Amino acid sequence: MKARILLIALAVLAFVSCKEKELTPLEPETANYLGTVTVVYNDSSFDNDSIEVAFNPSEDGLSGSVTIYKIRFVPQMPVTIDVTVPNLAMAATPEKIVLSCEQVVPLAMGGEFPRYTVTDFRGEIVGKELSFSLNFGDYPTSFRGSRLIE
Amino acid sequence: MTAALLLSTLTLLLPLKDTLLTEVTVTALKEPIPARQIAAPLTRLDSPELATQGIYRHNALSSRIPALHIPDYGASLTSTVYFRGLGSRMENPVIGLYIDGIPVLDKNAYDFDWVGVRSATMLHGPQGTLYGRNTMGGVLSLSTLSPSSGEGPSLYAEYGTANTCRLGASFITGNHAFSVGMRHTDGYFGNDFKGRPCDSYDGLSLRWKWEKSPGSDTQITHVMSASISREGGFAYGLYQEGRQYPVAYNDEGSYRRLSVIEGMIVHRRTESAQADLSGSLQLLNDDMHMDQDFTPASVFTLRQQQLSGAATLELNLRRTDRQASWQPLTGFFAFYRLNSLSAPVLFKRDGIESLILDNANSHIPGDIGYLTISDQEMPVTSDFLLGSWNVALFHESVFHFGTWHLTAGLRLDYEGGRMDYDCLSTLHYRFIPTMTADKPFSVTYRGNTVHSGLVALPKLTVMYDVSDRTGLYTNISKGYRAGGFNTQIFSDILQTMMMNGLMRDLGVYLDRPFSSVTASSTEYAPESAWNAEAGLRYRDTHVGLEASVYYMAVRNQQLTVFPAGQSTGRMMTNAGRSRSLGTEIQMRWRTDSFHSRLSWSYCDARFVRYNDGNADYAGKHVPYIPSHTLFLGAGYRLPLEGCSLTADAGLRANGPLWWNESNTLSEPMRLFLDGRLALVFLRWEMYLRGENLTDTQARSFYFRSVGKDFFASCKPRMMTLGISVKL
Repeated sequence: MKARILLIALAVLAFVSCKEKELTPLEPETANYLGTVTVVYNDSSFDNDSIEVAFNPSEDGLSGSVTIYKIRFVPQMPVTIDVTVPNLAMAATPEKIVLSCEQVVPLAMGGEFPRYTVTDFRGEIVGKELSFSLNFGDYPTSFRGSRLIE
Repeated sequence: MTAALLLSTLTLLLPLKDTLLTEVTVTALKEPIPARQIAAPLTRLDSPELATQGIYRHNALSSRIPALHIPDYGASLTSTVYFRGLGSRMENPVIGLYIDGIPVLDKNAYDFDWVGVRSATMLHGPQGTLYGRNTMGGVLSLSTLSPSSGEGPSLYAEYGTANTCRLGASFITGNHAFSVGMRHTDGYFGNDFKGRPCDSYDGLSLRWKWEKSPGSDTQITHVMSASISREGGFAYGLYQEGRQYPVAYNDEGSYRRLSVIEGMIVHRRTESAQADLSGSLQLLNDDMHMDQDFTPASVFTLRQQQLSGAATLELNLRRTDRQASWQPLTGFFAFYRLNSLSAPVLFKRDGIESLILDNANSHIPGDIGYLTISDQEMPVTSDFLLGSWNVALFHESVFHFGTWHLTAGLRLDYEGGRMDYDCLSTLHYRFIPTMTADKPFSVTYRGNTVHSGLVALPKLTVMYDVSDRTGLYTNISKGYRAGGFNTQIFSDILQTMMMNGLMRDLGVYLDRPFSSVTASSTEYAPESAWNAEAGLRYRDTHVGLEASVYYMAVRNQQLTVFPAGQSTGRMMTNAGRSRSLGTEIQMRWRTDSFHSRLSWSYCDARFVRYNDGNADYAGKHVPYIPSHTLFLGAGYRLPLEGCSLTADAGLRANGPLWWNESNTLSEPMRLFLDGRLALVFLRWEMYLRGENLTDTQARSFYFRSVGKDFFASCKPRMMTLGISVKL
C-alpha cells in the first residue's frame, strides 16, 4: 500500500514538474548577434559578412527592435549605415522568441527612413541564434547569426 | 630679477667698490681666440655701414651676408631665416641670435627694430659646440651701445615712401646707455577688398645697458631691451593658373607683440682664469589675427595668442693669459621656456559650406540624404602649454703650435619638450531628410606628449697662418636644430575628428574615413647637420678677403609642409636627408674716400632622400633656398668746403629658388638696386636713400592653403629722406 501511494505521489510530482516547464516562456533579453546579412539585389544575393545586430526588447516584453550595424544594401554603396527596425511584435514561447511586423518605417541617420520601409518582418530567437527576414524597400533581406559572448 | 639674482651672487664673490669705468670690448662671441683666428667664415658690419645701408632689421642683412636669406614678408613674428640650404618658415631657427652675449630663445622675437646696435657679426656654419641648439647655420651676434664707449648723444629722423617715418635717439649718462626708436609706416601693399594698405606698422623699441666695474677684475653688464609693435601684415595674393592676383581678403590680419629681454653678465678675472656668468629672463606676449584663406570669402580665421617666458643661465670659464699656447673654454648652459599658446580657428559660413559640408556630402550618396550645419560659425579652440628645456656642458680647446692653430671641442646637450593640448569643437547638424531638428555635437581632444634626447656636438678645426695677413683653415663640425610640436595642425585634426565623429553619430560609415595626422605624429624630430669646410682669410688695412667652400650633410631636415587636399593647417616634417654644397666669397676694399664690398654665395641644396609617401623628391632642390646671393656695394666721399658729399650704391640679388619640394614653382634670380646720397657735416648729415630703385617685381614667399597657391611680393621702390645728428 505504501509503495503504491509513493508511486502515485512521484507520478503526480513528475506530471506537475513537466507541466510547469512546458508552460514557462523564454525571457527576452538584450543581446548582440554576429552573422551574415544577405540582400537580394537584381535577382542575385549579396552577403554582408560579420554584421553585428542588436536585439532590444521593450520593458513590457511585448515588443522589441533590432539594429543592424554597418549594413550595405548594394555592393556599390560607398558607405555603410546603421538601421534600426522598431516596433516589432514579440511573442515568447518556452522554445523561442518570435518577432514579427507587417510594415514599419526603420530608423537610420538620426530619424525615420521611409525610403527603406520595412515590410513582412519575420524573425525568431532560438537558443543562441537569431534569424530574420524582411524587405527593406524593394530589397529582400535576411540575417542569421549567433549571440556574441558578453 | 636677473640683475638681483646675479648681483647677489656677485656680492658673495667680492666686496663692491667703485672704480672708474673701464672700456670693454663687448662681443657676444664666445670663442677664446681673436676673431681673425676663428676657423670659420665671419662677416662683420659695423655701425657706419649699418646706418649707411639702412640696416635696422635683420631682414636687411640678406645677401649682404653671403648665403643669408631672410625674406621680408608676413609680420614681425615670421622671421624666416634661410642659410646654406637650411631653414624653414616655422618653429626653430637655423641661426642663433645673440644680443650682447644673451641668446634670444624665441624666433618670434628675432625681428625687431635695431636701436643702439653698433655691430652685427655672423659666424657661418654650425656653431653647436659653443652655442648649442638652433645654431646649425651659424650665429648672428649683435653688440649695442656701451656706456664705456664714450659716444656722444645721437639722433636720427627719417621720412619716406608710404608715410614711413623713423625717429630715434641714443645717449650715455654715467654708467648707463639708452637707445630708443620708433617706426611708423602706412604699409606698402594694399588690400583690394578693404581698399587700404594691409601691412601698416607702429613700433617702439627701447634699450638700456648698464655697466659697472666694482673692481679692476670685475665687470658687470646689465642689458634690457623691450619692443612693442602693432602691425598689419600678411600681404598674400592668390596665384591661379599662372596669374598673380592682388591681395584681397576680408577678415582681420594683424599682429601685436610685446617682447622684453633682460640679461646680466658678470665678468670676473683672476690671474689665471676668467669667468663669465650670464643669465636672462625673456618674455614674449603676442596676439595675431589672420584670415587664413586670404580670400574675400568668409572661410576661416586664426587667432593666435602666446604668453611665453624663458630663463637662461650660462657660465663660461677660460684662461686669462691669451698668449698661452693652450686656450681652453669650458661652459655650462641651461634654459627653461614655457609657452601658453591659444590658437582658436574659426570656421565661418563659407568655410563650413566648402570645407566641411561639401567634403562630407561628397562621400554620402545623394539618394540617401545630405548633411547640413546650421551654425554660422564653428569655433575650433586649441589651447597648448608648451615647455622646453635644455642643459648643456661644453668644452673647447685651442692649441697654438707656432703658425698652426688646432681647435677641438665637444658639447653635450640634453634637450626636452612637453606639449599639453586641449582642443574642442562644437556644432549643430541635421541630416536631411531623416532628422527633423538640429542636434548638437562636440569633439574634444586632450592629452600630452613628451620628448627628450641627448645630442653630442663635436668640432674640429685647423688654421694655418700663411703670413701675418693670410690664414688658411678647415673645419668639421656638427649642429642641430631642436625638434618640437606641430600646433598648427590641430585644427585639421579636430576637423577630421569632427567629420568622422559626426558620421559615427549618424550611423554612417565611410569606406575611407576622413584622415589626418594625430597628436602622436605632431611631434617632429631634431634636425642635424655635419659641415666640412675649407677657407682662406686675408686682411690688411685696405683689403679684406674671405673665401670658403663647404659641404653640409643634413639629416631629418625640418620642412614646413601643407597636408594634401583641403587641409587648413601646416606642419613641420622631417625630410629624410639633404645636402648642401656651396661656396662663399666676401671682399672689402677701403681707402680714405672709397669703400666697396662684395658678398657672393653659391649654394646647391638638394634632397638626397625624401619621399613623403606621395612622391620621391630625391635630387630636387630644397625649397626656399636661393642658389645665389649677391651683394655688390661701393661708396665714394667727395670732400667739399665745410662738408662732404657721399654717394653709395648697392646691388642685391638672390635666386633662383624653388618654392615647393617638387620644384614646379620657381623664382628666377632678381636684382635690386639701392642707393644713397648724403651731405655730411661735422656733427650731422642729411641723406636721401633709395631701396629697390628699379622697382623690381619679385616674390618673397609662397604657401598653400586649402589647396590654393599664394605668394607674397617683395617690397616696391622705397625712398627715404633722413637726417642724423651726432653731438
